[in-house]
Amino acid sequence: MKLEIFPEKCTECWLCAAICSARLVGKFNPSRSAVYAESLLPEKLIMRPYVCIQCDEHPCVESCPVEAIAEDEKLGIYVVDKELCDGCGACIEACPYNGLRLDPVENYAIKCDVCRGKPRCVEICPEEVLKMVE
Amino acid sequence: MPGGYVGKILRVDLSSGKTSSEDLNLKWARLFIGGKGLGAKYLYEEAKPRADPLSPDNVLILMTGPLTGTTAPCAPKYAIYTKSPLTGTFLDSYMGGYLGAELKFAGFDGVIIKGKAEKPVYLWISDGKAEIRDAKDLWGLDIHETDKRIREKLGDKEVKVAAIGPAGENLVKIACITVDLYRQAGRGGGGAVMGSKNLKAIAVRGHQGVSVPNIEEFIELCKDITKNDVVTETNLWAKTDGTPGFLQMNQEGGVLPTKNFQMGVFEHANEIDGDAVKKILVRKRACYGCPLGCGNITQVKGGPFAGTVIEGPDYETLALGGSNCYISDLEAIAKYNLLCDKLGLDTISTGDAIAFAMECYEKGLITKEDTNGLELTFGNVEAYVKMPNLIAYRKAIGDVLAEGVRRAAEKIGKGSDRFAVHVKGLEYPGYEPRGAIGMALAYATSDRGACHMRAWPVDSEVFGDMDPFTTEGKAQLVIEGGIGQNLYCAKWSLVICDFYAIGYENIARLASAATGWKLSEDDMKIIGERISNLVRMFNVREGFTRKDDTLPYRIANDPLKGGKADGHVVKPEDFNKMLDEYYKLRGWDKEGRPTKEKLKELNLI
Repeated sequence: MKLEIFPEKCTECWLCAAICSARLVGKFNPSRSAVYAESLLPEKLIMRPYVCIQCDEHPCVESCPVEAIAEDEKLGIYVVDKELCDGCGACIEACPYNGLRLDPVENYAIKCDVCRGKPRCVEICPEEVLKMVE
Repeated sequence: MPGGYVGKILRVDLSSGKTSSEDLNLKWARLFIGGKGLGAKYLYEEAKPRADPLSPDNVLILMTGPLTGTTAPCAPKYAIYTKSPLTGTFLDSYMGGYLGAELKFAGFDGVIIKGKAEKPVYLWISDGKAEIRDAKDLWGLDIHETDKRIREKLGDKEVKVAAIGPAGENLVKIACITVDLYRQAGRGGGGAVMGSKNLKAIAVRGHQGVSVPNIEEFIELCKDITKNDVVTETNLWAKTDGTPGFLQMNQEGGVLPTKNFQMGVFEHANEIDGDAVKKILVRKRACYGCPLGCGNITQVKGGPFAGTVIEGPDYETLALGGSNCYISDLEAIAKYNLLCDKLGLDTISTGDAIAFAMECYEKGLITKEDTNGLELTFGNVEAYVKMPNLIAYRKAIGDVLAEGVRRAAEKIGKGSDRFAVHVKGLEYPGYEPRGAIGMALAYATSDRGACHMRAWPVDSEVFGDMDPFTTEGKAQLVIEGGIGQNLYCAKWSLVICDFYAIGYENIARLASAATGWKLSEDDMKIIGERISNLVRMFNVREGFTRKDDTLPYRIANDPLKGGKADGHVVKPEDFNKMLDEYYKLRGWDKEGRPTKEKLKELNLI
């Protein structure tokens, strides 16, 4: 269970991040979402949407000094335990895909859990930039 | 507290250098919702009547609405509210992009800026705080460079920046504010208001979020409306083509401004239309929360304008900067667009000003001595692409055109006012009224001067079933049509984008779900009418009456050449008939002043 990204279709609308934050923090707040995007206009023309792609290597897990990232056996993916995470940012440094980021308010690493099976960002994205892969 | 709002207004006094935060006036919010309504209310209450728009007395307001920052479809917009230096009227000018949402995330529904800074400054707003910072090193820079440097200074790429360029600094009266690189508060000279306050830019970043009473229900409503009312045949043009698609439609309808409004069709239209733009398209760009994404990121790859990257050109730029200047080179228009974006010029008024100057030049009213040696004839690309710089830096004839076509015609004289096409000083946009007579009334009665985004009867007259040449039903259409003034006012109280053709029902559903208030369709209709009357009160207070709701000389006297409306004028008697009917339907007196009864009925007095 993971998300796949097709960046060339991204229009920079931020609906994915807005709806993700609604689940994570109960408000519309794209700065506190697991999925986000980077615009490098005017130098680079294509958007760079980022989200954890649940890679096989998961360097984030090894990098974590407090073992806050562990496999959720039911989901079959690695998730962050918000209580254990101390916001050191090692996982963010370690991830080659820019798949994690720090919550700017509560200072913990946000990592996509694919909405535990029904990813909201996939549903709301108007351009099919994000796809669910079983 | 109702949902949707974040509940605070930021006050900035540039003269004293002080900033403060206060509670949003909820009584006003209930009466006027947000956006245009609240912006107009705060401006009406706080502006000093008859103030010089470029003096410290003018007030500059930024206002969002209760949907801004949520997942409501097509609701990224917010606007500046101020007194226009170009027209002297109420001015609201809407921006897309992301800064409006960011302002809400930073904890403010709106910002009220007064006074004048002693030296160039920029305003930095983040998470409930604001700072006035030195901008000495930014003054003089173009907008893209300013945007980049501010984000570098603040060390956060996600900071959103609204800035002025040299045009705003030089108090050019057709100067815009550019936000998120490619989106503008284009019309009416908002850039000059910022310039007059020594305010180079406003930078915003926020992490606080926006709440609604029931977020899950709200999201379901947004999804339902998106599926059944937004991504539908009515609005899909925005996604597939964006605004350039209008060029061919207006050409077919004979309402494409060409050669400074001498003609209604352009023989080279197919070189600058929607299909032509698709050839340089790289990708689509959406504003915050928009499933349509009308923006076209384009790139010029070869030729003299190679390397030009813009979001655009949009229809208005193609029409006023293209056909109206008789320019058929799309890549030159893209370059013109980029120059205007970076220098901070409204592409509509600037295009009209250049077209006006071209006609002056061809008629011998101005010469090479005035134009810095440029052969300023219609269609001359070489001269055309040099004009934005002349205007922004007030060089040669540019200094005259920087004042807009009305004042330029006063200065040049020699009968040039007969082809200076504007209402109240705001240059005409891209819909020729001689082929759609209702547009003449729409332009005349628009609150900020000739504007196509206050009522759009052309939809019924050119693209619909209504006779474009009869006065019948046009006043009603302008006021209460599906794309009429009252609906626009309601829509822009939220603030929903023009390109989602929303009706009162869904306006009410979204407004209710965001705020928690029970707002009906009828409530929203009344709110729309209330806002229309409030902005008219502002203009009446500034001295505007019937004498200012005008039909330009050219539209009344020079028969249009070419196309479906070939040979037509808008006769003054027809125009006056529509205007009489309009005032009557509005409940205003014959001079166009809202009556006491009407204002009482709308809870405005």
